[in-house]
Amino acid sequence: MVDLEFERRLERLFAEAPELPDAGAFAQRVERRLDTGWTARRWLIGAAGVVGGVIGASQLMLSNVFQRVETAGDSARLLSTSINHLSAGTDWMAAVSSAGVVVWVAGAMAVVMMGFVLTRVLGEI
Amino acid sequence: MPGLEHSRFASLHDVELCSLAATGERSAFGELVRRHGSAVRGVLRRMGAQGAEADDTAQDAFLTAFERIAEFRGEGTFAGWVKKIAARLYLRRLQRERRLGAMTAEVAEEEAPRRGDADAVIDLEEALQAIAPAERLCVTMCFGAGLSHSEAAEALNLPLGTVKSHVKRGLEKLRTRLAPDDGAALEGRRGNG
Repeated sequence: MVDLEFERRLERLFAEAPELPDAGAFAQRVERRLDTGWTARRWLIGAAGVVGGVIGASQLMLSNVFQRVETAGDSARLLSTSINHLSAGTDWMAAVSSAGVVVWVAGAMAVVMMGFVLTRVLGEI
Repeated sequence: MPGLEHSRFASLHDVELCSLAATGERSAFGELVRRHGSAVRGVLRRMGAQGAEADDTAQDAFLTAFERIAEFRGEGTFAGWVKKIAARLYLRRLQRERRLGAMTAEVAEEEAPRRGDADAVIDLEEALQAIAPAERLCVTMCFGAGLSHSEAAEALNLPLGTVKSHVKRGLEKLRTRLAPDDGAALEGRRGNG
């Protein structure tokens, strides 16, 4: 019969794995594969972001969004004029009325964001 | 600077390194690979994998471990966890290459055990080489990779009773080859270089 003592001894023998001479090289190979996978994943995410951005931008262009924003701006201006008539003391709606400015600010933020993404991607290379 | 990073992580415990690796710190995981790579490769070789095959499977096991590092709760040892992953990956590889069936079916009758023969009492590697592949697989999975009998049966796609028989027979043969003074003999061997 195989006794418990022998099983323990066997477990100990299995646990005593000898250090292989190329342990360092093996670890480097694993790290290299990890880095490659990581970089590839980031590229994939970046590419997906760019493609999504392009599709989003093209959808915006195709749906005449600027014209709609302009119309909305006109409506807002009209609304603000009406409100100003109602409450001459408050001019906070004036800021909202400048919808064109909002579009420009959003555009600038998008450009900054794109620059940030590009910087990260270049950093990864 | 890999050297600096290595020394930065060298003093940390495995659990701390795992926590760092879970945040995406690949260098911390590299330190874990440096610490336990040989043990994982050793288990695969003991299961019967050849040098390059064992190394490839061990690499895949570490990459899988990195992907699933958040699942490691520190209940067992990190090395034990990766060994289990590696053993399962190796079995999957054998199945894919249609080698597993032949290995588990092959129960060659061993030559009579040479109890007391000084040449027979060598080390675990040689003792494992001398037993049937199915027995070697089962014994190594249970004692080297830390799988339970039922986990091994499931991974090998064999009935639990068959796995238990393989383990029992394998242990008896190993015992005969390693006993009676395997511990002392091994110590002596290690002491002699």
